[in-house]
Amino acid sequence: METGRTTRIVLYAYGVLAICFLYLPLVSVGFASVSQARYLSFPIRRYTIEWYGEALDSHTVSSLLTTSFTIAVIVTVISLVVGFFGALAFARYQWRYRNLFQKFILLPIFFPQAVLGLALLIWFNSVGIIPSWKTAIVAHLVWISPITTLIIAIRAYAFDASLEEAARDMGASTWTVLKEVTFPLLLPGVVAAGLFAFLLSWGNFPLSLFTTGVDSTLPEWLYAKMVSGYSPLVPTLGMLSVLASLAILFAAFLVLILAKSFKQARGTE
Amino acid sequence: MAAEPVLRLKNIVKKFGAFVALHGINLDIRDGEFLTIVGPSGSGKTTLIRLLVGMDSPSEGEIWLNNSRIDKVPANKRPTCMVFQSLALFPHRTVGQNIEFPLKIRGVGAAERTARARELLELLRLPPHYQEKRITECSGGEKQRVALARALAFDPEILFFDEPLSALDYRLRKTLEKELKDLHARTGKTFVYITHSLEEAMVMSDRIAIMREGKLEQLADADGIYTRPVSRFVAEFMGEVNLFDVEGTAQGGLHGRGVEVHVNGQMEDIGISLGQGERGTLMVRPEFVRILESSGTSDFIVRGILRAEYALGSRIQYEVEAADGSRLSVEKLREDRYQGAIGDELVLGWDLDSTHLIRED
Ligand SMILES: Nc1ncnc2c1ncn2[C@@H]1O[C@H](COP(=O)(O)OP(=O)(O)O)[C@@H](O)[C@H]1O
Ligand SMILES: [Mg+2]
Repeated sequence: METGRTTRIVLYAYGVLAICFLYLPLVSVGFASVSQARYLSFPIRRYTIEWYGEALDSHTVSSLLTTSFTIAVIVTVISLVVGFFGALAFARYQWRYRNLFQKFILLPIFFPQAVLGLALLIWFNSVGIIPSWKTAIVAHLVWISPITTLIIAIRAYAFDASLEEAARDMGASTWTVLKEVTFPLLLPGVVAAGLFAFLLSWGNFPLSLFTTGVDSTLPEWLYAKMVSGYSPLVPTLGMLSVLASLAILFAAFLVLILAKSFKQARGTE
Repeated sequence: MAAEPVLRLKNIVKKFGAFVALHGINLDIRDGEFLTIVGPSGSGKTTLIRLLVGMDSPSEGEIWLNNSRIDKVPANKRPTCMVFQSLALFPHRTVGQNIEFPLKIRGVGAAERTARARELLELLRLPPHYQEKRITECSGGEKQRVALARALAFDPEILFFDEPLSALDYRLRKTLEKELKDLHARTGKTFVYITHSLEEAMVMSDRIAIMREGKLEQLADADGIYTRPVSRFVAEFMGEVNLFDVEGTAQGGLHGRGVEVHVNGQMEDIGISLGQGERGTLMVRPEFVRILESSGTSDFIVRGILRAEYALGSRIQYEVEAADGSRLSVEKLREDRYQGAIGDELVLGWDLDSTHLIRED
């Protein structure tokens, strides 16, 4: 279909506006992080990267990054395992309480996170667990596992069950079927779910606020600093956090590309 | 062929909850034969084949492969293999990797696997470079051949097929039917093939089993099924047919509504006779019905009016309305076509030896 002139102009305008709306705030944080002035005002008189140097040297910052990263990695791994098998139960197998399961598993996504965090904190206290970054992992999992389950389940719905049966018919054991057929076919869903899990955990504030106890994640620290004593270290760390997310995305992208070209190389040997 | 059957089904029953999908199937499958199981959709063909390959287990009954009972053996431990209706080719693998899959599972080395895959590609008339082709790049007919090659790589005792050609267009289906029959001859394996298409069954099979509502209705070669069906259902399922309700007379003859019977005496000799008051169905295929001169005679005669004419390619089909309102169909080769017009009064006749009597309880 030919796109009319007016339609095209509207589309361009929409695209530009959407991008400005999404990215201008981020750009201003970027500027704030390289401005020498204590508060951001345009035009910036003097640029500096001293805050980045300071951030990278700082002991607090490295411990913040370590905590956030550790939580995100563990949450990603566990939520992927839970999500993978959850998705099979969700989408692939017929069983008696499947309908009920499908509704209950998705419920935590719809709880306000602050309430979920509070509820978990109360629960940890009542069973005598002292909150720390480890309890934050549990909190993140409660919210993120349903999301990974859902993402992988979408992939599993499109899955032709006869593929597994065929593999079995040709002599494959349950484990071999999983390894040779089910997992490779669900892999794109698993990668997408893994990215989501990592980024949602990395950037999570409300759940962490309630459940990390004395430990602190990056978003928590940013908030605390904003409230108590702002310094340009805040936008700097914010930018660092965004850059780390981008790096993860880029790495995942790279892995997919490499896997593909490796496959092709093997296919044409 | 008095050999021991390769596969023996004893009173197989399959229930899904309260629904009985198979009602006590007894069947012997001969070594090396091409057996086709035909039936309308929903008659239980897929259910039966799934029991035979081990994807499901029977509620009652026994399955014996060569002298060992296998109904409790899981699919991955049975020496049988099935080509699915969906073909079930692995989309994340190349053609070669698909064909090699059963060998890989068995732990065959890479070099031997590749060599075997190449042989199979050749057997199925696919070019060798297809080994590296992606499944998604293959046409319907090529996928069909890859699925066959993969099943043959498994080297099963019996190869099962669940309507593998049903998604293809007519021309390709015809070609592949013949190739499949040819492949059967070349490999010497036992093929058990499911279809809802009578034509497919007739072209390929040594024997045909007709299924209806979870029961085996008849088992015979194509000719037997076509000319001597055991029920109205089989007669109608196997193509156009003219059926008449008849009853035995006191004189040992037949009396039927709308059909004049001009034979007496000899009927008993060829089994077309009923005791007095006994009911049956008289069957004649449309190609055996002649259009007679008004004075002509024949063993059976029906009078009616020509209502319609359909061209079937090499043949012409005529629809005739009999005096009692029932419809008959008559088929002629194109070169013998009837020269009259729609609305003509016709006398139709056929002989005893092209007539079959169906006795149903
Ligand atoms: N897993 C199942 N659960 C309940 N009913 C089933 C199941 N599989 C098949 N059936 C029923 O058994 C009957 C036979 O089905 P099927 O063997 O697939 O027929 P066909 O292959 O001849 O078309 C159908 O009525 C179908 O609905
Ligand atoms: Mg079927």
